[in-house]
Amino acid sequence: MSDKKKSLTVFKTDRHEDLAAIFASALVVVFVLTYMAFIVPSVSIKPPQDGKLMDIYVNEGSLVKTGDKLYSLEVVKKKWVNNVMEEKTAVQEFTSKANGKVLKVSGTPGTEVKKGKGTIIELAHQKGTLP
Amino acid sequence: MEDKGIFGKLLAIAPGLAVMVGTLYVLRMYVEPWMNEAVVFGTKGWLVKVMSLNYILLSILTGMFYRNVLFAGKIPGWAEEGFRTTRLFIKIGVIMLGSLYTFDKLFKVGGIAIALIVSFVFGTAIFILWLGKRLGADRSVTAVMAAACGVCGVSASVATAPGVRAKPVDLALSIATILGFGIASMFVSPYIGKLLSLSDYQFGAWVGTGILNSGQVLATCLAFNPNFAPGTAVAYGEIWNVVRVISIPFVVFFITAWYWKGEADSEQVSLGSILASKFPIFVIGFVGMTALSSLHVLGAEGSETLHLMRQVMAWIFGIGLVGLGAYIDVREIKAAGGTPLRIGVIAGFIKYVLALIIILTFIPKEGAF
Repeated sequence: MSDKKKSLTVFKTDRHEDLAAIFASALVVVFVLTYMAFIVPSVSIKPPQDGKLMDIYVNEGSLVKTGDKLYSLEVVKKKWVNNVMEEKTAVQEFTSKANGKVLKVSGTPGTEVKKGKGTIIELAHQKGTLP
Repeated sequence: MEDKGIFGKLLAIAPGLAVMVGTLYVLRMYVEPWMNEAVVFGTKGWLVKVMSLNYILLSILTGMFYRNVLFAGKIPGWAEEGFRTTRLFIKIGVIMLGSLYTFDKLFKVGGIAIALIVSFVFGTAIFILWLGKRLGADRSVTAVMAAACGVCGVSASVATAPGVRAKPVDLALSIATILGFGIASMFVSPYIGKLLSLSDYQFGAWVGTGILNSGQVLATCLAFNPNFAPGTAVAYGEIWNVVRVISIPFVVFFITAWYWKGEADSEQVSLGSILASKFPIFVIGFVGMTALSSLHVLGAEGSETLHLMRQVMAWIFGIGLVGLGAYIDVREIKAAGGTPLRIGVIAGFIKYVLALIIILTFIPKEGAF
């Protein structure tokens, strides 16, 4: 049990490890936010869930603001109601999370899409905003 | 160990860490996608859908393979320092999970979580103190097992051991027993959850109450539902986990006070000193992350920013879980035996089943958020 005799951490104490974890997570957050707000010029918006692409409300070159509708998906929504799983088909609209300009519209209304696969819209967001 | 300086320490960490990162990379980029496409028993993706063999469980299994087969039971010196960053990665992941909540969501389920955790943690500790007496176990062994089964397999046992004069061998056996039980629960629980059609809310609450190790709680929830998002098993399970972790110093105090009450040469213990030395301050980071999320600093729900944040979180957990697997030494678990094993198995099993019954009876399938 030689490993047991040794500490489970590379730090002096568990307290040091806790502080390091807080510091490291803060670094990760700062890195992600800075990267998305200032370094990435545009984002590829992919389907957040499986469904059918119903409508695309923007065109290439359109300027959009936070909250503007971008596209809609027909999805199967699952929800527990009175301890029974209810499934119903609904059309869900997805909005822009930042101000920006639509660079490209790749999705085709009427097609089936898979979660995280294939870009629907490519959006160049305003610097300093979180797309 | 001689002082290597900061660069020396980083260099010492690099090889083991590279193995952990490389392993996760191969599992996520090649093995899991292959398993998603593989047809077994006529079903595409059977290994993932039915066996819950996603990258989370694969990470742990691969870590176990390294430790017990490839490294023949002991992590080699060149990799040891890197693997000792395991808990750091799990703690970073736990802190980042705070981003899945806002304070109003936490308050919605926090009361239920506190009620369940406090009842189960102290109920189990009291039960073990009684069971230990009944089985004629040494008071030190009983105290360490109460900490191990009541609140946390490793942290609370290690924290309690010096205060109750437990021998190293008792501590090792207690940890081996409870970790062995946790590992079995980790692989079995997702199947039970699916068999009973538990919702994410119920599953998270059950696992958060019944399993006693942060890494194992997270791994089990992610085996049930691999998504990091509000309303998923890991989001609910983590609330229970954080409440349990916060209760560690209180349980350590309770058990230590019980131990010294029955000893002739009694020592004074104070809750204040135990809180000061044992409070898991990384929980403050978790609360801080929830504060940022509540202030909408981390990006809107559904944004690409949050998506990236959760991807990073998944990688951080994955690295930690490869390491967690590598700390599972089958020989140590085999060595568990005698009274600690009997106490651990009885208490662990009762707790696990009772938690399931209570969840099925009182916790609705509809999630609170």
